[in-house]
Amino acid sequence: MEMFLMVLCLSLLGVAVSALAFGAATRDVRDGDRSKARPQPRPSPSLPVVAPQFFADTPAVGATRSGVPIELLLLQLERHVRLEQAAAESFLMAPTLESLHSRTSSPLLH
Amino acid sequence: MTAPPEFLEGLNADDAAALMALGTATILKTGAVLFDLGSPADFLYLVERGRINLTLPMEVAGHQQDVLVEERLPGQMLGWSALIPPHRFTLKATAPLESEVIGFARAALFAHFAANPQVGYQVTRNVGGVIGQRLQILQAMWLREMRRVVQHRYEVNRG
Repeated sequence: MEMFLMVLCLSLLGVAVSALAFGAATRDVRDGDRSKARPQPRPSPSLPVVAPQFFADTPAVGATRSGVPIELLLLQLERHVRLEQAAAESFLMAPTLESLHSRTSSPLLH
Repeated sequence: MTAPPEFLEGLNADDAAALMALGTATILKTGAVLFDLGSPADFLYLVERGRINLTLPMEVAGHQQDVLVEERLPGQMLGWSALIPPHRFTLKATAPLESEVIGFARAALFAHFAANPQVGYQVTRNVGGVIGQRLQILQAMWLREMRRVVQHRYEVNRG
């Protein structure tokens, strides 16, 4: 009987120690999971500023940024349109690949 | 006038004179606006003298500017939106120098065409020719620009 009680006590003690050890071992993991699931404060997104794509890289825009007066830029635009129109008319007179993509002396492109 | 009016081509002298009698001459001082973008298109115009600039608004260096799209010279017509629904001008027309235009009211033209179908047919063909030519020119200009954009992108991507 004494042996039985001693074995029972040791077993209960073992179970208790195991439970404590298990609890201590798993608490860190659960906390870790919880901290992972918690939304972290994100650094403010620093999206790159997207420059306008259409005509964005043509020399005309650069010229504007470099301080060319608007009047001069408009004159260059007019000249560009006239030259392009003349080139397009030449293409219509003799439609070939070469005449379609003939070079221009437009100041906007040089 | 340096060239025969393009919208009178193919008409005999009597028909051309009857058509011209429908027009009203207007003198535009330097810088005057003939019509604005989006305004009702009730008149077809023939340039008699000077020059008319057709422009579109475009943002240039942070400012709204009228950028030249096309020029109309003596003998050429403009404002064909007057004949085609929804009868709104799609460009702005200004006179960069003192100019004279002859305006033809749409209602008067259509009444004349109804009474003289052969004249209406010929003028419609002439207007169609002008529209077609403008389309082809703009198409070619657009292709040239597209090629430059593609070429530029290709060079940028190649480094």
